[in-house]
Amino acid sequence: MGRGAASSSSSSFESSSYPSVSGESSFPQRKRDLSTDLRLGLSISTSQQDNPSTPSEQLMDWPPSKPVPRKALDSEENEYCSSTLFVKVYMEGIQIGRKLNLLAHDGYHDLIQTLDQMFNTNILWPEMDVENSAHCHVLTYEDKEGDWLIVGDVPWEMFLPSVRRLKITRADSL
Amino acid sequence: MNYFPDEVLEHIFDFVTSQRDRNSVSQVCKPWYKIESSSRQKVFVGNCYAISPERVIERFPGLKSITLKGKPHFADFNLVPPDWGGFVYPWIEAFARNNLGLEELKLKRMIISDECLELISRSFANFKSLVLVSCEGFSTDGLAAIASNCSFLRELDLQENDVEDHRGHWLSCFPDTCTSLVSLNFACLKGDVNLAALERLVARSPNLRSLRLNHAVPLDILQKILMRAPHLVDLGVGSYVHDPDSETYNKLVTALQKCKSVRSLSGFLEAAPQCLSAFHLICPNLTSLNLSYAPGIHGTELRKLIRHCRKLQRLWILDCIGDEGLEVVASTCKDLQEIRVFPSDPFVGNAAVTEVGLVALSSGCPKLHSILYFCQQMTNAALITVAKNRPNFTRFRLCILDPTKPDAVTNQPLDEGFGAIVHSCKGLRRLSMSGRLTDKVFLYIGMYAEQLEMISIAFAGDTDKGMQYLLNGCKKLRKLEIRDCPFGNAALLMDVGKYETMRSLWMSSCNVTLGGCKSLAKKMPMLNVEIINETDQMDISADDRQKAEKMFLYRTLAGRRKDAPEFVWTL
Repeated sequence: MGRGAASSSSSSFESSSYPSVSGESSFPQRKRDLSTDLRLGLSISTSQQDNPSTPSEQLMDWPPSKPVPRKALDSEENEYCSSTLFVKVYMEGIQIGRKLNLLAHDGYHDLIQTLDQMFNTNILWPEMDVENSAHCHVLTYEDKEGDWLIVGDVPWEMFLPSVRRLKITRADSL
Repeated sequence: MNYFPDEVLEHIFDFVTSQRDRNSVSQVCKPWYKIESSSRQKVFVGNCYAISPERVIERFPGLKSITLKGKPHFADFNLVPPDWGGFVYPWIEAFARNNLGLEELKLKRMIISDECLELISRSFANFKSLVLVSCEGFSTDGLAAIASNCSFLRELDLQENDVEDHRGHWLSCFPDTCTSLVSLNFACLKGDVNLAALERLVARSPNLRSLRLNHAVPLDILQKILMRAPHLVDLGVGSYVHDPDSETYNKLVTALQKCKSVRSLSGFLEAAPQCLSAFHLICPNLTSLNLSYAPGIHGTELRKLIRHCRKLQRLWILDCIGDEGLEVVASTCKDLQEIRVFPSDPFVGNAAVTEVGLVALSSGCPKLHSILYFCQQMTNAALITVAKNRPNFTRFRLCILDPTKPDAVTNQPLDEGFGAIVHSCKGLRRLSMSGRLTDKVFLYIGMYAEQLEMISIAFAGDTDKGMQYLLNGCKKLRKLEIRDCPFGNAALLMDVGKYETMRSLWMSSCNVTLGGCKSLAKKMPMLNVEIINETDQMDISADDRQKAEKMFLYRTLAGRRKDAPEFVWTL
């Protein structure tokens, strides 16, 4: 374990027992000899040499935190998306739909941006200027009860558990 | 004071509640000792092997409430074999035999059997409170006995115990006449519970203020329970399922709107973040939040939640909150006193927090005095800044996931950083360190850490001097635990009298030898020097030059313990 005094001999000792250090030289044999020499020369007791194969990544019982059931950890995809909520999205007039992970979005604004890009359109949103409403679309969703509603009326957090799928319809067809 | 009759003195002593103060009172003079001892109701025994139950009963015949601690702290991290000891049965048996009116029992790191729980339930008619922390040896059958027989039970609090779960029926054992429950915590139970029985129990417990559920209690039951217990102050949410239907969710929101008293929130075992916003309603009043069992709550959802918690005093979370999340904490939680950041994935270096989060907390939270911080890396500069920002730390525990990692920027040992902490934080009582550390840090600690009572050290130091500086300097040291440090017999034997002023010393994977330990045991008969021998290679007559892989010593008035298993030798 690398706790020797900060001297050059200890650093080479470390590099021989920590495989991750970039001393992966083309002379593995020489490295082995070096570590043997050091092991003979150092006055570190035998018990610390008991586990020469224990690399730093596999320290026993470290870190000192109590084992806790962490079931959900395995299903993580990435740091910001521990679970997913994929819903189907259809645009009026197009038979083939897309799928979108709602949980990867911060809120309605984020969602609209993604959909705008995905379907190459402008989805109407209350704050927007309604100049060319003929060419705009409106976002609707089907909720758990089977009703179709305009997206954006309820807080994002209440929207998420109730949405089943999305539909982008032409603004003038409403 | 000599002219006051005993009853008056006793009445005055009633106002002295802290254990330490009562100990001081009892040492003033003989009459005070007698009165204090006969009137003390609450007793704290920090090491169950330091004194025999008979002696405690003899001194405190009025004992009603006792706290007992068993295994050494490092048992939490698998360093102590399970049968090492800490059996509570002899204590309960002695209390029962002497007809003590025991009402409260709190155990930490002890072994308690079902038979023992049954004995408690049958022997003490007024038994009111059972708190078990990090204990083992019992099953839900023992809990059933407590539920069935303790008619005036107010508190059943199970924290992080290893309980053999025989499923559900113990909850149904609370009789219909039991309406006295104030606190019920079964979050650590792994099995199912009888949900109908739980609902009925909550319905007939008007004084219930603290309820912590296990993972087997789903959202729709939670909502029903909350409707029946709107006066809850402390809530531990059980399972927080992925995809509740909107009706249940809405009912939950309604129920939470009624819970205006909740100040402490925990649980979220198996949590998914979708419905977290329902809890935004109670966040503004929260003083305590524990999300350390909820790896599914992080990133934006977590930050959003935190932003609502302006009154938070205590926060326990996982390191997937990230430095960014900690900055949100620092800017939102101005009343924060204690924070614990636990590792979410001990073996991976991606997520986690760094010195950035720590500095943010130290600068943003003026009342912060207690921290446990598992992090990816640290720097001296950060620690020095933290020390300057926050001289009011009383507990400072830092754990770097790579335990010998030096300063992440300069590659120097972290001596200066920790030195700054102990120098600046004059009231520091507890310290844990990690990272690359030389003897120098111990010199600083010995010089400056005058109030230090407990210190945990791992993979630190170069020579015996390190430990010597520590033992020499820290006058108030009570508990010292060391693992994987190059300290040997010279350090161990430098000041043997010191150990009688301390509760205990743990040393594992250090350089002390069997001979050194034997020598210490010989010089100090009032200490139990135990060697935990887990390999077959050693036996007691072995070469004294062999390393003592694990040594645990403690002062005691009870002599060597009779319940030590084979692999534990008391020298």
